[in-house]
Amino acid sequence: MRWSALLLPCPDGASPPIEAARQALAVWALQFTPRVAVADEAVLMEVAGSLRLFGGQRALAERVRAQAEALGVCQLAWAPNSLAALALARAGTVNGLHAPLATLLDALPLHTLSAARPHAVTLAHLGCRTLGELRALPRGGVARRFGQPLLHALDQAHGLAPEVHEWVQLPEVFDARLELMSRVDSAPALLFGARRLLIQLCGWLAARHSGVTAFTLHWAFDAMRARAVGEGDASRLPGRPKNGCTPLGGQAQPGWGSHTVRTAQPMRDPEHLSRLLGEHLARVELAAPVGDLRLTADEVHRLQPTSHSLLPDTTHQGEALQRVLERLAARLGPERVLRPLLVPDHRLEWMCRWQAASLALPRQPAPAPEGPQPSFVLPQPLKLAMRGNRPLYQGELQLLAGPQRIEGGWWDRVDTTDAPEQQRTRHVVRDYWVALSEHAGVLWVFQTRLDEAPAWYLHGHFA
Amino acid sequence: MPPASVWLADTPSASAAIPRTVFDVGSLPPSVAASLWRGDQLGSPVATAHPSGFEALDAALPGGGWPGRSLSEILSPQSATLEWRLLGHALAQVCAAGRSVVVVGPPRVPHLPGLRQAGLNERQLIWVQAETPAERLWSAEQLVKANAGGALVVWLPQVRPEQVRRLQVLAAAHEGPVFVCRPHTAAQESSAAPLRVLARVGLDWTLLVDVVKRQGPPLATTLHLPSVPAGLQAILTPRMRQAPGALRLGDKPLPPPAPLRHTDPRQPTEAEHALVRTPAALPRRRVTAH
Repeated sequence: MRWSALLLPCPDGASPPIEAARQALAVWALQFTPRVAVADEAVLMEVAGSLRLFGGQRALAERVRAQAEALGVCQLAWAPNSLAALALARAGTVNGLHAPLATLLDALPLHTLSAARPHAVTLAHLGCRTLGELRALPRGGVARRFGQPLLHALDQAHGLAPEVHEWVQLPEVFDARLELMSRVDSAPALLFGARRLLIQLCGWLAARHSGVTAFTLHWAFDAMRARAVGEGDASRLPGRPKNGCTPLGGQAQPGWGSHTVRTAQPMRDPEHLSRLLGEHLARVELAAPVGDLRLTADEVHRLQPTSHSLLPDTTHQGEALQRVLERLAARLGPERVLRPLLVPDHRLEWMCRWQAASLALPRQPAPAPEGPQPSFVLPQPLKLAMRGNRPLYQGELQLLAGPQRIEGGWWDRVDTTDAPEQQRTRHVVRDYWVALSEHAGVLWVFQTRLDEAPAWYLHGHFA
Repeated sequence: MPPASVWLADTPSASAAIPRTVFDVGSLPPSVAASLWRGDQLGSPVATAHPSGFEALDAALPGGGWPGRSLSEILSPQSATLEWRLLGHALAQVCAAGRSVVVVGPPRVPHLPGLRQAGLNERQLIWVQAETPAERLWSAEQLVKANAGGALVVWLPQVRPEQVRRLQVLAAAHEGPVFVCRPHTAAQESSAAPLRVLARVGLDWTLLVDVVKRQGPPLATTLHLPSVPAGLQAILTPRMRQAPGALRLGDKPLPPPAPLRHTDPRQPTEAEHALVRTPAALPRRRVTAH
């Protein structure tokens, strides 16, 4: 049996910590084991069955320690049973596994055992200050004077009596709140609070064997704010209608702002999620100081974790690329991280479409057009100057091969920008040539036909 | 007399007494000779090399190709004129291995049909549209750090030497090659990239490549690499491969490239409806959508 006690700090020394914080820690702990219980000011978990999964006791302890610190755990202890772990944590001892339990427990003061706390003053008057001295007292006398529960708790702590726990149940929906230490004015500073919520979210996701594809961070504006602020949609996100702020849960809730982050694949890596959220928050402007945070998981999908393999493989590479592209898209905008898509069209401008890298490509790629194609194209064909009947582009062009006649497109009607009711067709009538320029290399130029004044245009480079 | 001058006075006679021996590599044990690096040899990179597809260039590059885990600078007088011709083979190999090629901030729109002819695969190609120098550097840095792609091509028209140095340090973590395309004026500046190549387009279907910097002795000669753009290999006739030479003869007037409208004597010069024409006499390919 490997028990771990995660001790939360008490606000004023005596009162138990906030119920929400304890519950949040319990939900996070459920990712390691289903056996999680809540004691006075601590969360207890039994991880003997999970050691192998998490790479051994040392790796698991390191992982628990690193994340628990971020969640505000002030003391962590390991012991063979829950009461001993709790007592050791209260006394400030981390490792209760390296020595016989009795010697460790005997040295602890009385207040470390919850059942001994009501009798601590009386016992102190008897000259009994440690658990070892309590254990040395005659059992019959102790039972008569202090009741059976004290002896029973002492036996449980020494592993002599069985323990009964009420296991924490995993909530079906993730919705965690956090009150910030102080009012926060700038959106990027929200990340420090949001990071704690994200670690909870990832713990919840791990316990459900799922990943998240969309999560929303909500923030409550301070009560002292301008009247116009926080009427449902308080923060502005310049130039991002798609990822814009959505009102809380569909209905506008006064005093709340929110931002939704989407990922391409189900994900539960707290580092990646917090970096993504950081990139998004850098674009958010807060209209008023923020006091509370709330994180909800909007879209949750099953996640098949990658199984560990003996041989190195390349699947991790693709996943890493996916993540770094997501990060780039979060900063630059999804319309600027692109993958090509071939469209069956004979006109050069509409032959290749670039779409966001997160979108899936069709299973069957379109056939490539025949004939030579440049490798760089100009977004708009560049009209070339003429000398005599020769086009000029950094010197006279020499036409090498051609023409390739491209025409048609009368069926492709688009709305004109200035007059929406009028449509214009993207009809082209062109003769394409391969041209050679002394300085600019091999070019793809065309001559328009059937126009009033036939002209030469540069359209691409054979780079 | 101080002892130092005694030593100086004795030195010529001492050196005359010892016969000068010529150091012979062959006299060393083979294992020692193999691990010995001499100044006139090319340095060998620690990481993998990606063949460039040009034999002459491979022979000039340490390790026989573009180095992985390192920065390679491509300097050219004009961007978007030769990048795919020079790097196409290496990038196609990366694509064929199932790794992705990420291009950051190309000066023109990459055109997939042309790149496909160069051997690139659209599933492995990603275009990051970074505009400002800071965005380009940040994107390149993220991609290099993540070691996610198979190869990275980044265009950095404006970059400071310390920024290149930073990229070079980070590139040690990137398995594939990292190509940095810069203007040829950067050849005057120092750069932390271990390999710098100055490339120009030659008119007779060659690329003129100077290896400005490499691990090893400097390369004095300009390499002439035969290179035909991938899309044109099928249509170039032997005569066309010769024809461009005419451009280089500056004093000779250019041969008149038969304008389209005058090739057919039956055809009037003014613009007319296309249906009236008789294109049968011309070697034209008509692409008409139905």
